[in-house]
Amino acid sequence: MEREVILETKQATKHFGGLAAVEKVDMTIYKGEILGLIGPNGAGKTTFVNIITGMLPITSGKVYFKGQDITGWPAFKIGRLGIARTFQIVKPFRGMTVQENVAVGAMFGHGGAKRSPREALEHVDHIIEFVGMADLREKHADELTLPYLKRLELAKALAMDPELLFLDEVMAGLNTKEIESAMELVRKINEKGITILVIEHVMKAIVGVTQRVFVLNFGQELAQGAPQEVLNNPAVIQAYLGEKFVARFFRQQKAA
Amino acid sequence: METLQLTQGVVNAILLSGTLTLVAIGFSIVWGILNIINLAHGAFLMVGAYITYWLFTLYGVDPFLSLPISMLTMFVVGYMVQRYLINLVIRAPLLVTFLLTFALEIIIINLATFFWKGDLRSVTPDYAGLGFTIGDVQIPYVRLAAFVISLVLTGLLHVFMTYTKTGNAIRATGMDIDAARLQGVRIPQTYALTYALGTALAAGAGTLISISFPIDPTMGGAYTLRAFVICVLGGLGSIPGVILGALLFSFIEVFSGIWAPSLKDAIALLVLVLVLIFRPSGIAGKAFYH
Amino acid sequence: MSDQKKAPIRFSSLDGLFKGRQGVLFSIFLLFILFLGVFPFLPFASGFWLNTLTLILLLAAMSIGWNFIGGYTGYAAFGNVAFFGIGAYGTGLSMIRLGLSFFPALLIGAVAAMVFAILIGLPILRLKGHYFAIATVAIATALGEIADSWTSFTGGAAGITLPFFDPIEWSGQFFYYMAYLLAIGGLLLTWFILNRKMGYSWVAIREDEDAANMMGINTTWSKVMAFALSALMAGLAGGIYAYWKTFVLAEEVFKIEYTLQMILAAVLGGTGTIFGPFIGAFIYYILITLLVFFLPVGQLHATILGAIIILVMVFTPKGLMDFISGRKKLSINALLENIRTYRV
Ligand SMILES: Nc1ncnc2c1ncn2[C@@H]1O[C@H](COP(=O)(O)OP(=O)(O)OP(=O)(O)O)[C@@H](O)[C@H]1O
Ligand SMILES: [Mg+2]
Repeated sequence: MEREVILETKQATKHFGGLAAVEKVDMTIYKGEILGLIGPNGAGKTTFVNIITGMLPITSGKVYFKGQDITGWPAFKIGRLGIARTFQIVKPFRGMTVQENVAVGAMFGHGGAKRSPREALEHVDHIIEFVGMADLREKHADELTLPYLKRLELAKALAMDPELLFLDEVMAGLNTKEIESAMELVRKINEKGITILVIEHVMKAIVGVTQRVFVLNFGQELAQGAPQEVLNNPAVIQAYLGEKFVARFFRQQKAA
Repeated sequence: METLQLTQGVVNAILLSGTLTLVAIGFSIVWGILNIINLAHGAFLMVGAYITYWLFTLYGVDPFLSLPISMLTMFVVGYMVQRYLINLVIRAPLLVTFLLTFALEIIIINLATFFWKGDLRSVTPDYAGLGFTIGDVQIPYVRLAAFVISLVLTGLLHVFMTYTKTGNAIRATGMDIDAARLQGVRIPQTYALTYALGTALAAGAGTLISISFPIDPTMGGAYTLRAFVICVLGGLGSIPGVILGALLFSFIEVFSGIWAPSLKDAIALLVLVLVLIFRPSGIAGKAFYH
Repeated sequence: MSDQKKAPIRFSSLDGLFKGRQGVLFSIFLLFILFLGVFPFLPFASGFWLNTLTLILLLAAMSIGWNFIGGYTGYAAFGNVAFFGIGAYGTGLSMIRLGLSFFPALLIGAVAAMVFAILIGLPILRLKGHYFAIATVAIATALGEIADSWTSFTGGAAGITLPFFDPIEWSGQFFYYMAYLLAIGGLLLTWFILNRKMGYSWVAIREDEDAANMMGINTTWSKVMAFALSALMAGLAGGIYAYWKTFVLAEEVFKIEYTLQMILAAVLGGTGTIFGPFIGAFIYYILITLLVFFLPVGQLHATILGAIIILVMVFTPKGLMDFISGRKKLSINALLENIRTYRV
């Protein structure tokens, strides 16, 4: 079975001074899939996304997008190439309305987007609706609560019309019902043909939406494979949750 | 260039670095702890210099004896300024505090020019011109004394910041204001104290400068800029960094003064811009109170 | 830039500009612009008034330019006087050394200012916050010193003298209209940019540069453009000023007070708004004039300027527009709001 590779990292490494936040990670993301990226706090998940998307300079290693070497490219070029992401710590444009925020993605995103502001503002209406923020279109971003700021992150990334989307903990801080609807959104986005990498601590969501999971621990690959299989891997349980949480983990498993 | 000129230059640079350390250290703690670029720093320095000048001229007070007076006076002034003015808007965006301290500088200089006139003045105690020579290198007593006093004051500041409760409170505030508050540190007072320390050190530097160089109301701006360059060179937030930065800067200043006197300041400024571009975190990196 | 949270792109289209209270204000503003347009033909338009208004309009133009980088893009540029100085010298030197007439000389001055902004902008616009601010101060100051000491080229402390405008009896009107056109051109330019992707990219950079970059905005290019356009405005103002005064002196055209005035005008009127800097320039002059008039200060002019800055920064860093337009009631409470938000 030959699957088309959309993104590949080879020995990707990021050091902060003496700290190896990401160490020699080889990851392959296949076109059309939803891949989960998990790992304990500080494992290097966000940093990994940062070095792929050009937010931080990579220390060593290579990144290929659809076969093209994009290592060291500036973030805006990577964005225009068709990679979008959300930020774990949300980054709204506070002085702009929801609509204007999202329109920025439609103005500058994939392919440089080539839409005028007017076209972009019209174009994003259905995206705002899709993430369930139609009523908030004219609101300024600084008036939104955190769950909506997370959705705004998603809408901004979607407006860029990406081929590959990184979701960095978009479900953190949401309640069970909100998580359900967020999972539904992720699936729908994927159905549109967008490849997704989800970073989540919410195991139920990981099991519920991903087809494959990649585990990082201390910046290194710990395991990868089918969700259930990986989550039952004792090494993963040990590293990821610590013994204290093993019990809770199994409760979560049952619920899922 | 002759060897003599070279050695003399080296000695001058080292002597100058003492005073410049003192100039920059107060600026550095205000920046590091309060996150304010204190553009009025040089103006406070100038007032310190004038206090020494007037005490000497009117009452014949020895300039070195006026050091504590000048520092104490400006300590009080600095405390008031921070407590009742800057504290009011300290958490506002950068432009606000930047303009605020700029305005203070403008006012102080303008008032000084108005009351004391713009003339160059000098403090000239009997021993002003005296010195000794090693080989052919001349070392004026006053400059040596200024060098030693600067280092002593810097050392005292280090001891204060490291070993006293108040000093620790100041550092804690700089590192994490919320944690400091929880520990019972009174933030407004601590801020005022930090700023007061900064102005007092500036005034002390002003006093020492007034003994070796002529003074005028606009002398301060150049020192504010030097303080900034030194902090950038040495990295924000460390006393050794400031000393290193001051040393480096003194060499640049002394030798550009020998080779291209009219462009002395321009060269210093260009060094600043280059360092900012190539080593934004300074040559010694970051530490201590930030 | 004080608190830019509520400074969205308000005027991204002209729809709605004529509606409601905003419509009334905008109409008044248009009438005022028209009034300024015919001002020189009015019977009471004395030389004094023409002179004063020319100064205000030049300040407005520079402040509009500063607003591109400082207000919309959010970079605290403190050295825009450098572009004014380059514009003045570029124009002056082209006229006397190359024998060009005013307009081509002005073009050279303005282009020189823009090129300089691009050259320094590429490295220093990577700096953030205080570092950027100080780098701009340093460059402007260094440039002033170089101009002052490079006597063979710039005339040094003696300055350079330009020919008079001919016919001299129309000089007042000519420079008034130059300044007027520049300021109005600046307003139109602001409006034009805000309706382009460029305008959105500026505001996006101001609000979150990383997010802007990730979303496909070439932030370097956008910032450099903002800086270069602000240099264009200041450079043109400098060139006009030089020919108007027929004299260029380094000490004068690189005065850091000019930068302060630009910023203060923008802050008074409201940074990151189209009309703010224009209106702010008028407010600034009125304030200064009133204060100097009522307080017998003489040489304490700078102290007054400083006091105004302090008062504005402490009480109304968001500008006076909300009070003037009646959007906010002027009350002790409203004045203390800023302190309540930002004190420790
Ligand atoms: N800009 C930075 N400078 C220095 N260290 C950093 C930086 N960013 C992250 N780190 C460190 O790198 C390590 C990995 O952090 P990262 O944010 O990538 O973890 P994460 O897996 O995303 O964690 P979380 O689940 O909490 O989001 C941590 O130890 C963090 O402190
Ligand atoms: Mg993370």
